[in-house]
Amino acid sequence: MRPILFIAIFAGMLLSGCEKVIELKLDDSAPVIVIDGGINDQSENQIIKISKTYSFSEPNKFNGVTGAKVVVTRPNMSTVTYTEVSPGIYQSVKTRGVPGNKYTLDVTIDGKKYSASSMMPAKVVLDSLTFKQFNLFGKTTTYIAVNYKDPVDAVNQYRYVLKAKGKIEEDMVSNDRFNNGNKVSDVIFYKLEDLVAGDSLEVEFQCIDPNVYRYFYSLKQSSGQGGPPVAPSNPVSNFSNGALGIFNAYTTSTRTAVIK
Amino acid sequence: MLIFGWLVYTVILSIFTTHDVIMPNTFRIILILLFIITQPGFVFAQNKKTVNGNVTDAKTGETLIGASVKLTGSATAGTVTNAYGFYSINTQEGTYEISVSFIGYKTIKQNLNVAKDTRINFVLEEDNQLNEVVIAATKRNENVSSPQMGLQKIDVKDINSVPVLLGERDVLKTLQLLPGIKSAGEGNSGFYVRGGATDQNLILLDEAPVYNASHLLGFFSTFNSDAIKDVSVYKGGMPAQYGGRLASVLDIKMNDGNRKTYTVEGGLGLISSRLKVEGPIVKDKGSFMISARRTYMDAFLKLSSDSSVNSNTLYFYDFNAKANYQIDDKNTIYLSGYFGRDKLGIADTFGFNWGNATVTLRWNHLYSNRLFSNTSLIYSNYNYVIQNLMEENNFEVNSSIKDFNLKQDFEYSLSNSHNLKFGVNAIHHTIAPGKLTASETSSVNQTTYEDRKGLELAAYVSDEWAVSDRMNLVYGLRLSSFSLMGPGNIKSYDTEGNIIDTKAYKAGEFVKSYFNLEPRLSASYQLSNSSSLKGAYTRNIQNVHLMSNSTSTSPTDLYIMNSNNVKPEIADQVALGYFRNFNDNNYEFSAEVYYKWMQNQIEYRSGTDLRGNGNVEADLLYGDGRAYGLELFFKKRFGRFNGWVGYTWSRTERQFDALNNGRWFYAKQDRTHDLSLVGIYKASPRWTFSSVFVYNTGNAVTYPSGKYQINDRTVFYYTEKNGYRTPAYHRLDVAATLEGKPGRRLQSSWSFGIYNLYNRQNAFSIDFKDNPDDPTKTEVVRTTLFGIIPSVTWNFKF
Repeated sequence: MRPILFIAIFAGMLLSGCEKVIELKLDDSAPVIVIDGGINDQSENQIIKISKTYSFSEPNKFNGVTGAKVVVTRPNMSTVTYTEVSPGIYQSVKTRGVPGNKYTLDVTIDGKKYSASSMMPAKVVLDSLTFKQFNLFGKTTTYIAVNYKDPVDAVNQYRYVLKAKGKIEEDMVSNDRFNNGNKVSDVIFYKLEDLVAGDSLEVEFQCIDPNVYRYFYSLKQSSGQGGPPVAPSNPVSNFSNGALGIFNAYTTSTRTAVIK
Repeated sequence: MLIFGWLVYTVILSIFTTHDVIMPNTFRIILILLFIITQPGFVFAQNKKTVNGNVTDAKTGETLIGASVKLTGSATAGTVTNAYGFYSINTQEGTYEISVSFIGYKTIKQNLNVAKDTRINFVLEEDNQLNEVVIAATKRNENVSSPQMGLQKIDVKDINSVPVLLGERDVLKTLQLLPGIKSAGEGNSGFYVRGGATDQNLILLDEAPVYNASHLLGFFSTFNSDAIKDVSVYKGGMPAQYGGRLASVLDIKMNDGNRKTYTVEGGLGLISSRLKVEGPIVKDKGSFMISARRTYMDAFLKLSSDSSVNSNTLYFYDFNAKANYQIDDKNTIYLSGYFGRDKLGIADTFGFNWGNATVTLRWNHLYSNRLFSNTSLIYSNYNYVIQNLMEENNFEVNSSIKDFNLKQDFEYSLSNSHNLKFGVNAIHHTIAPGKLTASETSSVNQTTYEDRKGLELAAYVSDEWAVSDRMNLVYGLRLSSFSLMGPGNIKSYDTEGNIIDTKAYKAGEFVKSYFNLEPRLSASYQLSNSSSLKGAYTRNIQNVHLMSNSTSTSPTDLYIMNSNNVKPEIADQVALGYFRNFNDNNYEFSAEVYYKWMQNQIEYRSGTDLRGNGNVEADLLYGDGRAYGLELFFKKRFGRFNGWVGYTWSRTERQFDALNNGRWFYAKQDRTHDLSLVGIYKASPRWTFSSVFVYNTGNAVTYPSGKYQINDRTVFYYTEKNGYRTPAYHRLDVAATLEGKPGRRLQSSWSFGIYNLYNRQNAFSIDFKDNPDDPTKTEVVRTTLFGIIPSVTWNFKF
């Protein structure tokens, strides 16, 4: 259900515009706290990453914030305290969340507390990955599709994280608005053409709550991918007190495919 | 008069609001009322003498719109012909000289003895001579003396000689060269008027509103200039007969067709070919005009032997048709239609088409020498279809907006100093946001989003009053209403976007009604024969809104109407201007300033998804707007060299409590400076050269002021909404036209053009992305759409 994407592809072909890297002077804003992480349904060390925004002109980096107090509260009011394992990376003991439960994350930095809650949805499992080919203007392009069965009695939101050769190449969300209760085969529009035989592809399939869905949907929209460009804005975070980022309680299942 | 208009209106309204009358009945009532007011007994008392008639072109029999008719002698009185080439002047008995003039035509002067009501038609001959003395012989200071402000007319000949992208003549792009009217983007036919958005322009083609006036994602307009006779654009001071949009009125009238002989003309261009056929149905009584245009990019695709190439579709077409027949001196009927469509298709994967259809049936009737009536029945439809043909998730989406529109307009010449216009209008809207169909094997479920129905009613009265020799006024009042109608499950939302109430309504039930009074005033005071001061105040209301969350427009943009939550958009504009002609009206200068307040403007929350969103109102935000600016215009009107300079300084801002921390921000259409230069030089009877230069400040946009990492990927941090500017835009275009040797039966001409002569790399978009070779770096990437582009077109006529 991405007609806009097709239009974009089509328009792109018609108007093969000329691209050039240019210099642009951008302002530097005061740093803002960013919290990124979650809790899933696997028994593992759950991770919360805390960082700060930094200047556009600096090289990309993880601008970690140390010394934060990170606590996740379960519905029964028991808590898990995360410990800092490297600057800005906070890790729990092995634990797992349970679908249907609401989790609350409290992060305290320099006496200021940022809180967010997320409800872990019922689990849907990723059945398989398949390759799909499209013939567009004499050029065949291969994409990967995720296959799963959407449950009829629930409103579901999904997130697909595609890794090629261990690197995250695509991170997108979808929901069952148009295909509730059906077998779904959803194409991830990441071109696989640079891959050679033996390269592996991994798709992590998450079931997420509506706020998390909206966060990632908005992130994608602002980036101009997946449709015509939308006036960019910061995606609405579920954190209080002006922190950026998202706290995500999700179920996860992963499949791997190898290019032959 | 005035009282009567209100009476009609209040009766209609009271019927609507006090009973649950179903639609057909309400229409019947309107029809009955119209029937009553159009009875012969309804004619007003007459005590003066009337001179009236039609003004037409000698060669084609086309009626001339806006021709000036003036009586001098026993008294002085004058008027201009209306949209149907009809004029009517009230005066006293006596002897006069009557003069009829129209730009580009030879003036007629003759003596006239008025002893009784007189009907006299004029046939004007085109003036092809370039001799300036002939042209200067008539005073043409209509732009100075007319009380109308904010009106700009485009000469269709200018449209044909100004250079354009790929040689496609385009009325909307020529319009963008005037001050106060700005292009919505590179190569885009969308336009912004005095801080308005693209959906705030009322675009009328033979009175029918055209919802999506662009082809091919905005690069070409739907108006084939072959079929166009008259183009007027109101940037402010709209007369009361127009209503429904906030920012402007673009009133386009199609050619009626040649009443004398059959002619065929056309052109072959890089992108498209055009053909127009016109001729008499009954000589001097009726005529027809058929005009068609089709692009042929897909023809090139067909040349490929590769099935994945030649099975693709990509084209658009326009089809204009019009016929008229003059039954007798008092009755003329017109039927006109427009059909246009874009089609895209990718083999057996994907199909997408969209287009407009409009049909206008009009009846001109002269109830008396002083009461001219036009009755219009208008149908307008815009729809799009998206097809996904892939087997596992095939689907088809159908969406449309459909209007039935009934208009009754009267023009009454009350006295030699008062000309009244009044009328009523009823529009019934049906918006089908989407019907999703799919085969049984598809993973997509069939869904139909509820249709929404709305009824817009309006009544207006307007008077053009010659207060004194120096002072002229057009003032009027428009009462408009909008009602959201059942059937449907109508939701109400709180300010957070949560549903607080859902109520089911039956067909014909009124959900919510809004009433508005729209005062209109435009006045001129002539300082001298060649200069005047003008002022205007206008209130405009908009009840149908286009929801587009992309930075450009898309054929899939969603139309919504007023509802429990969405309120009518309101704009109040004041404008002041100084108008001055020089050198015997050969040069025209104007300076206008305006200030505009806008209420109930609409924006979105972050992350709004418009596709198949039955709950889109939950994501809407409401706020205010303001726009102000200065427009300067200098034009050389006649001679071998003519052209103009237009300059605009302006500001356009919005304020929403939920956006930008409640602070005012620049709207995307804000541009500080906007300059256009147009020059047309007729070097010889066969060669014409023209050139256009444009410069404007970059658009207000949101760029990052920092970055951070989410899930190991770079994400940008935005602080102020639209706090940055894209780089300034400028471009120079040139064109040359070579006419064939005169006197031959087949007349042909060649047009050569170069778009963006010095190959300026204007930014179509600026993107921020990680360097593909060095992922630690973020780059700013500028995309340019059109560099230097030559074009050639061959035109013919026989």
